[in-house]
Amino acid sequence: MAEDEKDPVRDSLEGFIGKPMGEGALAPEEVNLPMIRHWVDALDDRNPVYLDEAFAAETRMGGVVAPPAMLQTWTMPSPVIAGIAERGGAPTAMKSENVVTALDAAGYVGTLATNSELEFVRYLRPGDRLKTTSALESISPRKRTSLGLGYFVTWITTYWAGDDEVVGTQLFRIFKFDPSTLGGTA
Amino acid sequence: MIEADIHVGDELPGFELTVTSTVIVAGAIASRDFMPAHHDSAYARGQGAPDMFMNILTTNGYVSKFITDWAGPEAILKKIAVRLGGPAIPGQPLRFSGQVIGAEDRGDERVFEVTIRAANDLGDHATGTVVVSLPRKSDS
Repeated sequence: MAEDEKDPVRDSLEGFIGKPMGEGALAPEEVNLPMIRHWVDALDDRNPVYLDEAFAAETRMGGVVAPPAMLQTWTMPSPVIAGIAERGGAPTAMKSENVVTALDAAGYVGTLATNSELEFVRYLRPGDRLKTTSALESISPRKRTSLGLGYFVTWITTYWAGDDEVVGTQLFRIFKFDPSTLGGTA
Repeated sequence: MIEADIHVGDELPGFELTVTSTVIVAGAIASRDFMPAHHDSAYARGQGAPDMFMNILTTNGYVSKFITDWAGPEAILKKIAVRLGGPAIPGQPLRFSGQVIGAEDRGDERVFEVTIRAANDLGDHATGTVVVSLPRKSDS
């Protein structure tokens, strides 16, 4: 099929747009110094505002803050390690159907992350407890790329501290493709 | 770094990250990402990747470090927007470069837009823009 032919798969996905990608996540713990220290050591990021309270208090931070790129870390799901490879890396069994599982079922099993856009409304401090909501923003028409035929899928995750304060967002775009169409002309 | 020392067109000091399996695994686990592609070479190759590869949270973390190592501890990141390219894999150093392309005052801050690129011998790993602010000195 060419890109511009009728596409019942794409048509079947229209109802997902604007809907959540799944249940929202609640961070298992508050933003905390042990996890910040783990990150600081792992990435060798020695910005003193992440761990040195006395130093940070003298900056405009006013006290230690979490590395901003940790935003996504706080609500990462607690994994079930057993079977994670068999689940294709999914930390736990997927509960809800969303556009990704629908595309998997239609044969578009390949996944390539193409864009990430993190926006930080404010830096996080120890004690902040995060939760997320998400919404599917768009699904492209079917496109051919060097990986084969597929769809660009874009969603936005909103990060909340407490019930009513947005502290950041992440736009994420993936290309869901059918590996069997690689290099084909069909 | 203070805001008055930064000008549009300035290039950031380059940073070369030695990428090893340990670097990739440390970042993946510190970011609570247990996907096997980020710690298991055999699994990653089975998925068609050349080797285990860095997860996106770690890439964003190194972009943040690259920016604040230059801008200093008063810097506040507003945005990290990246287009993701080839994988960051063991044995392929990742070279970070960047340039200031915009600057404007917003209230008591000066806000800079910086283009960034992290590349290895496979090509671009991540390219994009970072928005970062520094406090403005009082006009007195």
